[in-house]
Amino acid sequence: MTTRPSRWRALFETQWKWTRGVLLLIAVTTFALPLLSLRSSAGARDDSSFISSIQAWAVGYAFVAAGLGLLVGIFSWSYDHRLRHVYALSLPVERWRYSLMRFTGGLALISLPVATLFVSAEIVAHSSLVPPMLHAYPVALTLRFAFAALVAYSVFFAISSATARTAGYILATIGLLFVLDIVLRSAGSRIDVLGHVTDILFAAPGLLAVFGGRWMLIDV
Amino acid sequence: MTFAIETSGLQFRPGRGFEISNLNMHVPSGALYGFLGPNGAGKTTTIRLLLGLTPKQSGSITVLGRSMPGGSVDVMARTGYVPERPHLYPTLSVDETLRLHSAFHVRWDSAWADELKRQFSLVGERRVASLSKGETGKLMMLLALAQQPELLVLDEPTDGLDPVVRRDVLEALLGYVSSHSATVLISSHLVHELERICDWIAVMDRGRMVAELPMQEFKDGIKRLVIADVARTTKEPPFTVLARKQSNGGEQWLVRGWTNGMRDYFAHSGGTLREVIDLDLEEGFVELLRSFRGAA
Repeated sequence: MTTRPSRWRALFETQWKWTRGVLLLIAVTTFALPLLSLRSSAGARDDSSFISSIQAWAVGYAFVAAGLGLLVGIFSWSYDHRLRHVYALSLPVERWRYSLMRFTGGLALISLPVATLFVSAEIVAHSSLVPPMLHAYPVALTLRFAFAALVAYSVFFAISSATARTAGYILATIGLLFVLDIVLRSAGSRIDVLGHVTDILFAAPGLLAVFGGRWMLIDV
Repeated sequence: MTFAIETSGLQFRPGRGFEISNLNMHVPSGALYGFLGPNGAGKTTTIRLLLGLTPKQSGSITVLGRSMPGGSVDVMARTGYVPERPHLYPTLSVDETLRLHSAFHVRWDSAWADELKRQFSLVGERRVASLSKGETGKLMMLLALAQQPELLVLDEPTDGLDPVVRRDVLEALLGYVSSHSATVLISSHLVHELERICDWIAVMDRGRMVAELPMQEFKDGIKRLVIADVARTTKEPPFTVLARKQSNGGEQWLVRGWTNGMRDYFAHSGGTLREVIDLDLEEGFVELLRSFRGAA
Protein backbone atom coordinates (compact mmCIF):
# COMPACT_ATOMS: atom_id res chain seq x y z
CA MET A 1 0.00 0.00 0.00
CA THR A 2 1.28 3.48 -0.92
CA THR A 3 2.08 5.62 2.13
CA ARG A 4 1.42 9.34 1.83
CA PRO A 5 4.61 11.41 2.15
CA SER A 6 4.58 15.11 2.96
CA ARG A 7 4.06 17.40 -0.01
CA TRP A 8 7.58 18.84 0.29
CA ARG A 9 9.14 15.42 0.42
CA ALA A 10 7.11 14.19 -2.55
CA LEU A 11 8.28 17.13 -4.66
CA PHE A 12 11.84 16.81 -3.36
CA GLU A 13 11.89 13.17 -4.46
CA THR A 14 11.02 14.19 -8.02
CA GLN A 15 13.82 16.79 -8.05
CA TRP A 16 16.27 14.25 -6.64
CA LYS A 17 15.32 11.82 -9.38
CA TRP A 18 15.84 14.43 -12.10
CA THR A 19 19.16 15.78 -10.80
CA ARG A 20 20.85 12.93 -8.97
CA GLY A 21 23.16 11.95 -11.84
CA VAL A 22 24.59 15.39 -12.41
CA LEU A 23 24.50 16.14 -8.67
CA LEU A 24 26.65 13.11 -7.82
CA LEU A 25 29.10 14.13 -10.55
CA ILE A 26 29.36 17.64 -9.08
CA ALA A 27 29.69 16.20 -5.56
CA VAL A 28 32.64 14.08 -6.73
CA THR A 29 34.15 17.19 -8.37
CA THR A 30 33.81 19.33 -5.25
CA PHE A 31 35.38 16.53 -3.23
CA ALA A 32 38.25 16.21 -5.70
CA LEU A 33 39.03 19.92 -6.18
CA PRO A 34 40.70 20.65 -2.79
CA LEU A 35 42.62 17.37 -2.87
CA LEU A 36 43.85 17.96 -6.42
CA SER A 37 44.82 21.56 -5.64
CA LEU A 38 46.86 20.38 -2.63
CA ARG A 39 48.50 17.61 -4.61
CA SER A 40 49.50 19.94 -7.45
CA SER A 41 50.94 22.46 -4.97
CA ALA A 42 52.79 19.97 -2.82
CA GLY A 43 56.10 20.26 -4.70
CA ALA A 44 56.25 24.08 -4.57
CA ARG A 45 59.65 25.68 -3.86
CA ASP A 46 58.37 28.14 -1.27
CA ASP A 47 55.18 29.45 0.35
CA SER A 48 54.63 32.01 -2.38
CA SER A 49 54.73 29.38 -5.12
CA PHE A 50 52.49 27.17 -3.02
CA ILE A 51 49.87 29.94 -2.76
CA SER A 52 50.12 30.74 -6.47
CA SER A 53 49.60 27.10 -7.30
CA ILE A 54 46.59 26.87 -4.97
CA GLN A 55 45.17 30.09 -6.43
CA ALA A 56 45.28 28.62 -9.93
CA TRP A 57 42.55 26.23 -8.83
CA ALA A 58 40.36 28.98 -7.36
CA VAL A 59 38.49 29.69 -10.56
CA GLY A 60 37.41 26.03 -10.56
CA TYR A 61 35.33 26.54 -7.40
CA ALA A 62 33.55 29.54 -8.93
CA PHE A 63 32.76 27.64 -12.11
CA VAL A 64 31.51 24.58 -10.27
CA ALA A 65 29.33 26.74 -8.00
CA ALA A 66 27.85 28.51 -11.03
CA GLY A 67 27.30 25.21 -12.84
CA LEU A 68 25.69 23.67 -9.78
CA GLY A 69 23.27 26.59 -9.45
CA LEU A 70 22.53 26.55 -13.16
CA LEU A 71 21.78 22.82 -13.38
CA VAL A 72 19.73 22.50 -10.20
CA GLY A 73 17.82 25.70 -11.07
CA ILE A 74 16.95 24.49 -14.55
CA PHE A 75 16.15 20.91 -13.52
CA SER A 76 13.75 22.21 -10.85
CA TRP A 77 11.38 23.38 -13.58
CA SER A 78 12.32 21.52 -16.75
CA TYR A 79 9.68 18.78 -16.53
CA ASP A 80 6.96 21.21 -15.48
CA HIS A 81 7.82 23.32 -18.53
CA ARG A 82 7.78 20.29 -20.76
CA LEU A 83 4.30 19.38 -19.50
CA ARG A 84 3.14 23.01 -19.77
CA HIS A 85 2.68 23.08 -15.99
CA VAL A 86 -0.65 21.26 -16.33
CA TYR A 87 0.10 18.73 -13.59
CA ALA A 88 1.56 21.34 -11.24
CA LEU A 89 -1.39 23.68 -11.77
CA SER A 90 -3.90 20.89 -11.20
CA LEU A 91 -2.51 20.19 -7.73
CA PRO A 92 -4.43 21.74 -4.82
CA VAL A 93 -1.65 24.07 -3.73
CA GLU A 94 -1.08 27.79 -4.21
CA ARG A 95 1.40 28.62 -6.94
CA TRP A 96 3.71 30.52 -4.59
CA ARG A 97 3.76 27.61 -2.16
CA TYR A 98 4.53 25.16 -4.96
CA SER A 99 7.41 27.39 -6.14
CA LEU A 100 8.70 27.70 -2.58
CA MET A 101 8.68 23.91 -2.14
CA ARG A 102 10.54 23.47 -5.42
CA PHE A 103 13.03 26.18 -4.41
CA THR A 104 13.77 24.71 -0.99
CA GLY A 105 13.98 21.25 -2.53
CA GLY A 106 16.72 22.57 -4.82
CA LEU A 107 18.51 24.12 -1.85
CA ALA A 108 18.55 20.76 -0.11
CA LEU A 109 20.07 19.21 -3.23
CA ILE A 110 22.77 21.86 -3.41
CA SER A 111 23.82 21.04 0.13
CA LEU A 112 25.24 17.67 -1.02
CA PRO A 113 28.17 19.07 -3.11
CA VAL A 114 28.66 21.74 -0.45
CA ALA A 115 29.04 19.01 2.17
CA THR A 116 31.52 17.01 0.09
CA LEU A 117 33.54 20.18 -0.50
CA PHE A 118 33.65 20.85 3.23
CA VAL A 119 34.78 17.30 4.04
CA SER A 120 37.49 17.46 1.40
CA ALA A 121 38.62 20.95 2.50
CA GLU A 122 38.84 19.73 6.10
CA ILE A 123 41.00 16.79 4.99
CA VAL A 124 43.32 19.24 3.21
CA ALA A 125 43.37 21.54 6.25
CA HIS A 126 44.65 18.70 8.41
CA SER A 127 47.17 17.50 5.85
CA SER A 128 50.87 17.55 6.64
CA LEU A 129 51.52 18.78 3.07
CA VAL A 130 50.39 22.30 4.01
CA PRO A 131 53.47 24.44 4.78
CA PRO A 132 53.66 25.33 8.49
CA MET A 133 53.55 29.11 7.94
CA LEU A 134 50.33 28.97 5.90
CA HIS A 135 46.76 28.56 7.12
CA ALA A 136 43.82 26.61 5.72
CA TYR A 137 40.35 28.15 5.55
CA PRO A 138 37.98 25.23 4.91
CA VAL A 139 34.93 26.88 6.50
CA ALA A 140 35.42 30.19 4.68
CA LEU A 141 35.89 28.44 1.33
CA THR A 142 32.83 26.24 1.90
CA LEU A 143 30.68 29.21 2.90
CA ARG A 144 31.81 31.18 -0.14
CA PHE A 145 31.07 28.19 -2.38
CA ALA A 146 27.65 27.67 -0.75
CA PHE A 147 26.77 31.34 -1.11
CA ALA A 148 27.90 31.47 -4.75
CA ALA A 149 25.92 28.31 -5.55
CA LEU A 150 22.89 29.84 -3.77
CA VAL A 151 23.16 33.06 -5.80
CA ALA A 152 23.54 31.18 -9.09
CA TYR A 153 20.72 28.80 -8.16
CA SER A 154 18.38 31.66 -7.22
CA VAL A 155 19.06 33.51 -10.46
CA PHE A 156 18.59 30.47 -12.70
CA PHE A 157 15.62 29.19 -10.68
CA ALA A 158 13.91 32.56 -11.16
CA ILE A 159 14.69 32.69 -14.87
CA SER A 160 13.64 29.13 -15.55
CA SER A 161 10.43 29.49 -13.52
CA ALA A 162 9.33 32.24 -15.87
CA THR A 163 7.76 31.75 -19.25
CA ALA A 164 9.77 31.14 -22.41
CA ARG A 165 8.91 34.72 -23.40
CA THR A 166 10.51 36.14 -20.24
CA ALA A 167 13.61 33.99 -20.76
CA GLY A 168 13.66 35.31 -24.33
CA TYR A 169 13.56 38.92 -23.06
CA ILE A 170 16.50 38.23 -20.75
CA LEU A 171 18.55 36.63 -23.54
CA ALA A 172 17.60 39.47 -25.89
CA THR A 173 18.78 42.04 -23.31
CA ILE A 174 22.13 40.28 -22.96
CA GLY A 175 22.46 40.06 -26.74
CA LEU A 176 21.59 43.74 -27.07
CA LEU A 177 24.37 44.68 -24.64
CA PHE A 178 26.90 42.76 -26.72
CA VAL A 179 25.68 44.37 -29.95
CA LEU A 180 25.74 47.83 -28.34
CA ASP A 181 29.28 47.22 -27.14
CA ILE A 182 30.44 46.19 -30.61
CA VAL A 183 28.71 49.15 -32.27
CA LEU A 184 30.22 51.64 -29.81
CA ARG A 185 33.70 50.16 -30.18
CA SER A 186 33.55 50.22 -33.96
CA ALA A 187 32.42 53.86 -33.77
CA GLY A 188 35.52 54.64 -31.75
CA SER A 189 33.62 55.36 -28.55
CA ARG A 190 35.37 55.08 -25.20
CA ILE A 191 32.24 53.81 -23.49
CA ASP A 192 32.83 50.22 -22.39
CA VAL A 193 29.29 48.86 -22.02
CA LEU A 194 30.22 45.31 -21.14
CA GLY A 195 32.93 46.52 -18.76
CA HIS A 196 30.39 48.66 -16.90
CA VAL A 197 27.85 45.86 -16.71
CA THR A 198 30.52 43.44 -15.49
CA ASP A 199 31.57 45.93 -12.80
CA ILE A 200 27.98 46.44 -11.67
CA LEU A 201 27.40 42.71 -11.41
CA PHE A 202 30.71 41.41 -10.11
CA ALA A 203 32.12 44.26 -8.00
CA ALA A 204 30.78 44.58 -4.45
CA PRO A 205 27.91 45.02 -3.71
CA GLY A 206 26.91 43.59 -7.10
CA LEU A 207 24.58 40.61 -7.40
CA LEU A 208 27.39 38.29 -8.50
CA ALA A 209 30.16 39.81 -6.35
CA VAL A 210 30.62 36.54 -4.51
CA PHE A 211 32.10 35.04 -7.69
CA GLY A 212 34.89 37.64 -7.70
CA GLY A 213 37.63 37.90 -5.08
CA ARG A 214 39.89 35.18 -3.75
CA TRP A 215 38.68 31.60 -3.44
CA MET A 216 41.55 30.51 -1.26
CA LEU A 217 41.60 27.25 0.65
CA ILE A 218 45.13 27.92 1.85
CA ASP A 219 46.52 31.42 2.38
CA VAL A 220 48.81 33.35 4.63
CA MET B 1 -31.58 22.28 -8.62
CA THR B 2 -28.03 22.99 -7.47
CA PHE B 3 -25.13 23.19 -9.86
CA ALA B 4 -21.63 21.79 -9.41
CA ILE B 5 -20.44 24.04 -12.23
CA GLU B 6 -22.05 27.24 -13.36
CA THR B 7 -20.78 29.87 -15.78
CA SER B 8 -22.37 33.11 -16.83
CA GLY B 9 -21.33 35.27 -19.76
CA LEU B 10 -17.93 33.59 -19.90
CA GLN B 11 -15.69 35.21 -22.45
CA PHE B 12 -12.22 34.20 -23.58
CA ARG B 13 -10.32 35.16 -26.70
CA PRO B 14 -6.80 33.70 -26.82
CA GLY B 15 -5.98 35.30 -30.16
CA ARG B 16 -7.40 35.85 -33.58
CA GLY B 17 -9.83 33.38 -35.06
CA PHE B 18 -11.26 31.68 -31.98
CA GLU B 19 -13.16 32.78 -28.94
CA ILE B 20 -15.34 31.41 -26.18
CA SER B 21 -18.29 33.73 -26.41
CA ASN B 22 -20.93 34.42 -23.75
CA LEU B 23 -20.83 30.87 -22.44
CA ASN B 24 -23.56 29.96 -19.98
CA MET B 25 -23.11 26.47 -18.62
CA HIS B 26 -24.97 24.66 -15.86
CA VAL B 27 -23.76 21.25 -14.67
CA PRO B 28 -26.28 19.90 -12.13
CA SER B 29 -24.83 18.38 -8.95
CA GLY B 30 -24.71 14.61 -9.22
CA ALA B 31 -25.14 14.62 -12.99
CA LEU B 32 -23.14 12.74 -15.58
CA TYR B 33 -22.78 15.65 -17.93
CA GLY B 34 -21.61 14.92 -21.44
CA PHE B 35 -19.81 17.79 -23.10
CA LEU B 36 -20.04 17.17 -26.80
CA GLY B 37 -18.50 19.02 -29.69
CA PRO B 38 -16.36 18.55 -32.76
CA ASN B 39 -12.58 18.93 -32.56
CA GLY B 40 -11.68 22.58 -32.10
CA ALA B 41 -15.09 23.50 -30.66
CA GLY B 42 -13.50 24.90 -27.49
CA LYS B 43 -14.19 22.06 -25.05
CA THR B 44 -10.64 21.82 -23.72
CA THR B 45 -10.31 25.60 -23.44
CA THR B 46 -13.59 25.73 -21.54
CA ILE B 47 -12.44 23.01 -19.15
CA ARG B 48 -9.16 24.84 -18.54
CA LEU B 49 -11.12 28.02 -17.82
CA LEU B 50 -13.46 26.17 -15.44
CA LEU B 51 -10.54 24.80 -13.41
CA GLY B 52 -8.60 28.06 -13.37
CA LEU B 53 -5.76 26.63 -15.48
CA THR B 54 -6.32 29.44 -17.97
CA PRO B 55 -7.38 32.87 -16.71
CA LYS B 56 -10.81 34.04 -17.92
CA GLN B 57 -11.22 37.46 -19.51
CA SER B 58 -14.75 38.20 -18.36
CA GLY B 59 -17.85 36.50 -17.01
CA SER B 60 -18.25 34.40 -13.90
CA ILE B 61 -17.36 30.80 -13.08
CA THR B 62 -18.54 28.96 -9.98
CA VAL B 63 -17.29 25.44 -9.30
CA LEU B 64 -18.43 23.48 -6.22
CA GLY B 65 -19.70 26.72 -4.75
CA ARG B 66 -16.39 28.55 -5.15
CA SER B 67 -15.76 31.42 -7.50
CA MET B 68 -12.98 30.67 -9.97
CA PRO B 69 -10.09 31.12 -10.39
CA GLY B 70 -9.86 32.48 -6.81
CA GLY B 71 -11.06 29.24 -5.23
CA SER B 72 -8.90 26.96 -7.33
CA VAL B 73 -6.91 25.42 -4.44
CA ASP B 74 -10.08 24.29 -2.66
CA VAL B 75 -11.71 23.23 -5.94
CA MET B 76 -8.70 21.22 -7.12
CA ALA B 77 -8.62 19.41 -3.75
CA ARG B 78 -12.17 18.25 -4.45
CA THR B 79 -11.83 17.67 -8.19
CA GLY B 80 -10.30 14.80 -10.12
CA TYR B 81 -8.98 16.02 -13.46
CA VAL B 82 -8.00 13.96 -16.44
CA PRO B 83 -6.64 16.27 -19.15
CA GLU B 84 -6.76 15.65 -22.86
CA ARG B 85 -3.00 15.07 -23.11
CA PRO B 86 -0.90 13.08 -20.62
CA HIS B 87 0.39 15.48 -17.97
CA LEU B 88 2.37 13.14 -15.73
CA TYR B 89 6.14 13.28 -15.18
CA PRO B 90 7.57 10.76 -17.66
CA THR B 91 10.64 9.85 -15.61
CA LEU B 92 8.66 8.71 -12.56
CA SER B 93 7.46 5.15 -12.16
CA VAL B 94 3.79 4.33 -11.68
CA ASP B 95 4.32 3.88 -7.93
CA GLU B 96 6.28 7.13 -7.66
CA THR B 97 3.50 8.93 -9.49
CA LEU B 98 0.92 7.53 -7.06
CA ARG B 99 3.10 8.57 -4.14
CA LEU B 100 3.52 12.11 -5.47
CA HIS B 101 -0.18 12.51 -6.19
CA SER B 102 -1.24 11.07 -2.84
CA ALA B 103 0.85 13.67 -1.00
CA PHE B 104 -1.38 16.45 -2.29
CA HIS B 105 -4.77 14.84 -1.69
CA VAL B 106 -5.91 14.39 1.89
CA ARG B 107 -8.76 12.05 0.93
CA TRP B 108 -6.44 9.74 -1.02
CA ASP B 109 -7.56 6.13 -0.69
CA SER B 110 -4.38 4.02 -0.84
CA ALA B 111 -6.16 0.70 -0.61
CA TRP B 112 -8.44 1.56 -3.48
CA ALA B 113 -5.54 2.96 -5.51
CA ASP B 114 -3.79 -0.41 -5.13
CA GLU B 115 -6.99 -2.21 -6.07
CA LEU B 116 -7.40 -0.06 -9.20
CA LYS B 117 -3.74 -0.59 -10.08
CA ARG B 118 -4.32 -4.33 -9.99
CA GLN B 119 -7.62 -4.04 -11.83
CA PHE B 120 -5.99 -1.92 -14.56
CA SER B 121 -2.97 -4.29 -14.73
CA LEU B 122 -0.52 -1.42 -14.10
CA VAL B 123 3.00 -2.41 -13.06
CA GLY B 124 4.29 -0.20 -10.23
CA GLU B 125 7.93 -0.22 -11.30
CA ARG B 126 7.32 0.82 -14.90
CA ARG B 127 8.17 4.36 -15.90
CA VAL B 128 5.34 6.58 -17.10
CA ALA B 129 7.30 7.24 -20.32
CA SER B 130 7.24 3.54 -21.15
CA LEU B 131 3.47 3.13 -20.70
CA SER B 132 1.21 2.68 -23.70
CA LYS B 133 -1.49 5.22 -24.43
CA GLY B 134 -4.09 2.94 -22.84
CA GLU B 135 -2.00 2.39 -19.71
CA THR B 136 -1.36 6.12 -19.37
CA GLY B 137 -5.09 6.76 -19.70
CA LYS B 138 -5.80 4.19 -17.00
CA LEU B 139 -3.15 5.68 -14.71
CA MET B 140 -4.62 9.17 -15.10
CA MET B 141 -8.10 7.83 -14.33
CA LEU B 142 -6.71 5.95 -11.31
CA LEU B 143 -5.20 9.16 -9.94
CA ALA B 144 -8.44 11.08 -10.45
CA LEU B 145 -10.57 8.40 -8.77
CA ALA B 146 -8.34 7.48 -5.83
CA GLN B 147 -8.35 11.05 -4.56
CA GLN B 148 -12.11 10.53 -4.00
CA PRO B 149 -13.30 13.73 -5.64
CA GLU B 150 -16.74 15.31 -5.50
CA LEU B 151 -16.32 16.39 -9.10
CA LEU B 152 -14.60 14.61 -11.97
CA VAL B 153 -13.59 16.63 -14.99
CA LEU B 154 -12.55 14.32 -17.78
CA ASP B 155 -11.31 15.78 -21.06
CA GLU B 156 -11.58 13.14 -23.77
CA PRO B 157 -10.53 10.43 -21.28
CA THR B 158 -11.04 7.54 -23.67
CA ASP B 159 -9.84 9.18 -26.87
CA GLY B 160 -7.57 6.80 -28.75
CA LEU B 161 -8.06 3.92 -26.31
CA ASP B 162 -8.96 0.46 -27.53
CA PRO B 163 -12.43 -0.86 -26.68
CA VAL B 164 -11.22 -3.10 -23.85
CA VAL B 165 -9.34 -0.32 -22.08
CA ARG B 166 -12.22 2.08 -22.71
CA ARG B 167 -14.62 -0.34 -21.08
CA ASP B 168 -12.32 -0.78 -18.05
CA VAL B 169 -11.98 2.97 -17.62
CA LEU B 170 -15.70 3.68 -17.96
CA GLU B 171 -16.61 0.81 -15.62
CA ALA B 172 -14.31 2.20 -12.94
CA LEU B 173 -15.78 5.65 -13.47
CA LEU B 174 -19.39 4.49 -13.29
CA GLY B 175 -18.61 2.37 -10.24
CA TYR B 176 -17.20 5.38 -8.45
CA VAL B 177 -20.05 7.67 -9.46
CA SER B 178 -22.70 5.23 -8.30
CA SER B 179 -21.07 4.75 -4.90
CA HIS B 180 -20.05 8.37 -4.23
CA SER B 181 -22.77 10.43 -5.97
CA ALA B 182 -20.08 12.50 -7.62
CA THR B 183 -20.67 14.93 -10.47
CA VAL B 184 -18.94 14.13 -13.74
CA LEU B 185 -18.19 16.47 -16.62
CA ILE B 186 -16.93 14.34 -19.48
CA SER B 187 -15.98 15.87 -22.78
CA SER B 188 -15.83 13.79 -25.91
CA HIS B 189 -16.49 13.74 -29.59
CA LEU B 190 -17.46 10.07 -29.31
CA VAL B 191 -21.20 10.51 -29.34
CA HIS B 192 -22.20 6.90 -28.71
CA GLU B 193 -20.03 6.74 -25.61
CA LEU B 194 -21.75 9.71 -24.03
CA GLU B 195 -25.17 8.46 -25.10
CA ARG B 196 -24.68 5.32 -23.03
CA ILE B 197 -23.51 6.90 -19.80
CA CYS B 198 -24.65 10.54 -19.55
CA ASP B 199 -27.90 11.94 -18.22
CA TRP B 200 -27.20 15.51 -19.33
CA ILE B 201 -25.80 16.67 -22.60
CA ALA B 202 -24.29 19.93 -23.78
CA VAL B 203 -23.23 20.62 -27.34
CA MET B 204 -20.59 23.19 -28.10
CA ASP B 205 -19.40 24.47 -31.43
CA ARG B 206 -17.07 27.31 -32.39
CA GLY B 207 -16.83 28.51 -28.80
CA ARG B 208 -20.60 28.75 -28.31
CA MET B 209 -23.08 26.60 -26.42
CA VAL B 210 -25.49 25.16 -28.97
CA ALA B 211 -27.66 23.13 -26.60
CA GLU B 212 -27.73 22.08 -22.95
CA LEU B 213 -30.49 19.80 -21.70
CA PRO B 214 -31.23 16.40 -20.14
CA MET B 215 -30.14 13.57 -22.42
CA GLN B 216 -33.60 12.06 -22.68
CA GLU B 217 -35.13 15.40 -23.61
CA PHE B 218 -32.48 15.83 -26.27
CA LYS B 219 -33.06 12.39 -27.72
CA ASP B 220 -36.85 12.60 -27.50
CA GLY B 221 -37.04 16.08 -28.89
CA ILE B 222 -35.09 15.61 -32.11
CA LYS B 223 -37.11 13.85 -34.81
CA ARG B 224 -37.29 13.48 -38.53
CA LEU B 225 -40.82 14.16 -39.80
CA VAL B 226 -42.02 12.84 -43.15
CA ILE B 227 -44.63 15.29 -44.44
CA ALA B 228 -46.92 15.43 -47.46
CA ASP B 229 -48.81 18.49 -48.76
CA VAL B 230 -46.18 20.77 -47.36
CA ALA B 231 -47.16 23.74 -49.49
CA ARG B 232 -50.38 24.18 -47.55
CA THR B 233 -48.71 24.43 -44.12
CA THR B 234 -48.43 28.17 -43.50
CA LYS B 235 -48.71 28.45 -39.71
CA GLU B 236 -45.61 28.96 -37.56
CA PRO B 237 -44.75 25.52 -36.06
CA PRO B 238 -44.52 25.03 -32.25
CA PHE B 239 -41.16 23.24 -32.71
CA THR B 240 -37.86 24.32 -34.25
CA VAL B 241 -37.22 23.22 -37.80
CA LEU B 242 -33.50 22.50 -38.07
CA ALA B 243 -33.46 21.33 -41.69
CA ARG B 244 -35.83 20.62 -44.59
CA LYS B 245 -35.29 18.50 -47.68
CA GLN B 246 -37.42 17.20 -50.56
CA SER B 247 -38.35 13.54 -50.41
CA ASN B 248 -40.72 11.44 -52.57
CA GLY B 249 -43.06 14.27 -53.46
CA GLY B 250 -43.11 15.56 -49.92
CA GLU B 251 -40.54 16.83 -47.47
CA GLN B 252 -38.51 15.55 -44.58
CA TRP B 253 -38.11 17.97 -41.69
CA LEU B 254 -35.54 17.64 -39.00
CA VAL B 255 -37.07 19.22 -35.92
CA ARG B 256 -36.11 19.98 -32.36
CA GLY B 257 -38.43 20.31 -29.37
CA TRP B 258 -40.92 17.79 -30.73
CA THR B 259 -43.66 16.22 -28.60
CA ASN B 260 -46.51 13.99 -29.75
CA GLY B 261 -49.06 16.67 -28.91
CA MET B 262 -47.68 18.73 -31.76
CA ARG B 263 -49.21 16.41 -34.36
CA ASP B 264 -52.26 18.70 -34.18
CA TYR B 265 -50.21 21.42 -35.82
CA PHE B 266 -50.35 19.55 -39.12
CA ALA B 267 -54.07 18.81 -38.78
CA HIS B 268 -54.80 22.50 -38.28
CA SER B 269 -52.38 23.89 -40.82
CA GLY B 270 -53.37 21.58 -43.63
CA GLY B 271 -50.20 19.48 -43.94
CA THR B 272 -50.15 15.71 -43.61
CA LEU B 273 -47.75 14.12 -41.19
CA ARG B 274 -46.91 10.67 -42.59
CA GLU B 275 -44.24 9.47 -40.17
CA VAL B 276 -42.20 10.51 -37.12
CA ILE B 277 -38.73 8.94 -37.16
CA ASP B 278 -36.58 8.68 -33.99
CA LEU B 279 -32.98 9.77 -34.36
CA ASP B 280 -30.09 8.53 -32.29
CA LEU B 281 -27.86 11.00 -30.50
CA GLU B 282 -25.25 11.06 -33.24
CA GLU B 283 -27.75 11.93 -35.96
CA GLY B 284 -29.31 14.55 -33.72
CA PHE B 285 -25.89 15.95 -32.86
CA VAL B 286 -24.81 16.18 -36.49
CA GLU B 287 -28.03 17.81 -37.61
CA LEU B 288 -27.97 20.20 -34.66
CA LEU B 289 -24.47 21.33 -35.58
CA ARG B 290 -25.41 21.60 -39.23
CA SER B 291 -28.36 23.87 -38.46
CA PHE B 292 -26.28 25.91 -35.96
CA ARG B 293 -23.58 26.48 -38.54
CA GLY B 294 -26.17 27.25 -41.20
CA ALA B 295 -27.75 29.86 -38.95
CA ALA B 296 -24.33 31.29 -38.04
